[in-house]
Amino acid sequence: MNTPGRILVVDDEMGIREGCRRVLAEEGYAIDLAEDGFIGLERALEKPYDLVLVDLMMPGIGGLDLIEKIHEIDPEIIMVVITGYASIETAVAATKRGAYDYLPKPFTPEALSVLVKRGLEKRELRLEAQKLYQDREQKLLELAGEKSRLRSIIGCMADGVLVTNREGQLVLWNAAAVKMLKLRGTDEPGKPPSHYITNQPLIESLEKIMDSKEDSVSMISREIPSGDQKSVLMVQMAPVQDEQGRLLGAVTVLRDITKLKEIDKIKSQFVSMVAHELRSPLAAIEGWLGLLLSGEVEKDEEQKRQWLSRAKERAQSLLALVQDLLEINKIEAGKVAQKMTPVQVFDILGKTVEFFKPEADKKNISIHMKGSASLPLVRADVQDMEKLFTNLISNAIKYNVEKGSITIETSLDSNYVGIHIHDTGIGISRDDLPRIFDDFFRAENSKMDKISGTGLGLTIAKKIVDSHFGHIEVKSEPNKGSTFSIYLPCRT
Amino acid sequence: MKARGKILLVDDDPDFLEMHKAVLENHGYEVSTAASAQEGLGRVRAEMPDLIVLDLMMEKHDAGFSFCKTIKTDPLFRRIPILMVTSVAEATGYRFSFEEDGYWMKTDDFLDKPVPPDVLLDTVDKLLQKRKEQE
Repeated sequence: MNTPGRILVVDDEMGIREGCRRVLAEEGYAIDLAEDGFIGLERALEKPYDLVLVDLMMPGIGGLDLIEKIHEIDPEIIMVVITGYASIETAVAATKRGAYDYLPKPFTPEALSVLVKRGLEKRELRLEAQKLYQDREQKLLELAGEKSRLRSIIGCMADGVLVTNREGQLVLWNAAAVKMLKLRGTDEPGKPPSHYITNQPLIESLEKIMDSKEDSVSMISREIPSGDQKSVLMVQMAPVQDEQGRLLGAVTVLRDITKLKEIDKIKSQFVSMVAHELRSPLAAIEGWLGLLLSGEVEKDEEQKRQWLSRAKERAQSLLALVQDLLEINKIEAGKVAQKMTPVQVFDILGKTVEFFKPEADKKNISIHMKGSASLPLVRADVQDMEKLFTNLISNAIKYNVEKGSITIETSLDSNYVGIHIHDTGIGISRDDLPRIFDDFFRAENSKMDKISGTGLGLTIAKKIVDSHFGHIEVKSEPNKGSTFSIYLPCRT
Repeated sequence: MKARGKILLVDDDPDFLEMHKAVLENHGYEVSTAASAQEGLGRVRAEMPDLIVLDLMMEKHDAGFSFCKTIKTDPLFRRIPILMVTSVAEATGYRFSFEEDGYWMKTDDFLDKPVPPDVLLDTVDKLLQKRKEQE
């Protein structure tokens, strides 16, 4: 003990009190004295003591009562009884009441000092034990809390979690795992995995991971079908080891990657389509240039110039395609790029029509603007609207017949502003109609008639309309014409 | 000078029709063209070409295959060699090879687009030679 032992001597005989004080003060202890039980108790209430020497026979509160009363304050205070009747009975009685030991009167200073020293050591041990006990209690509490916290955390996870022990028994799992694997019989603990899991690949993986050499760290990552065979699960499995690297069990984490797989598939389909669409014009350009460079064909300059301009046309269509792809990317990148302002779509329509007048004139196509110039404003991105009308009006010209016409009308109901672009062109067949908004889709008759296009114009139009929370509709009759209707929510 | 042979080109890309026509005509072949499988079959029946150069991917993705099947199962035309040209290989991520797919594709040879003029001429020449030997 670093601090000197704090000792209280309670005795009605002044000689004993003083004697004790002298002996013990010499040993370096801090001594207080009390001449009877009441004063002794008061002292004990005022400040803490490590050891109390108490006379059994005192007026007022007797020694035995005092032992109990002081122990109520601190049960670990060492009580040493000083007694004139050094009999077995009194000693037993005192020990029963909680005394540590007794000192028969008269006693030698050595006997006192030895007993006090021993008592104080005992006190120290008791305090130490008490501290250890409290620590353990605390640790157990924390552990219990940790365990239930862990269960709550695992329970909340969207990913499935399974923990198996060294015997391969299922010891911990969560609701997501039950759902994904259709686990059964989870109310019967301590059975082998095959009791709960029907998924054979997963059981095999579990066996494999438990078989792995103890000193090697292994990890299994594989895809398995879910319990109902409807989705794909990504399984990550790893052994759980203790500090010495001994195998304790295995932890398995399951993630539903069905959606990811679908997105991945759509992505590769799109990439494959884009690659094919890019390759066709590139192959033609390469073909023309190869032909010119090979010298296989001796032709006049005029012919060569013609071939070069054919290559240039394909290069232009390639450029238009890349432009459209960038456009799609921009729309799909989201609203960041969009600047939504209240716009009058009729004005934008008018400007777009103006722009296309020369091209329409070349095919002798007349454009009629009908509809209201005072439509309610629409919240839209001006550039997107320009692109949208450009795509639809240029289609209406491209797929129109010589001397045909284009009529543009507007409509209005309580929620939507409608724009209707009607042409007198080749129309779209019933078979093709459902697919015209698909990426790279081009109607059979348009390909036959050698009308140029990337197959992305309507894809872009639809994406723009979608991103403005509107919708696009098309009606068409082959060889009569098509009507594209756009509905955009009005600003109220 | 008598033509070295009658060749039918079937391709929905007008650029390839024209460039292959230029190369082959320059080397003394008589060339006719068709822009669709249907038109191609018509020309086969009308003109009885010595060899067909066919693009795999036409209006429908399997048009080239069904064209081949029609020709190769017809006793009148099945001896006409078909040279398949295509840009399908890289685009779809797998590669056709004559050795592996030749049986059910029923073509006689196989080239990737664009075909360099000398390769086109060599292959056409080789196929016509082979046909002559078989007769």
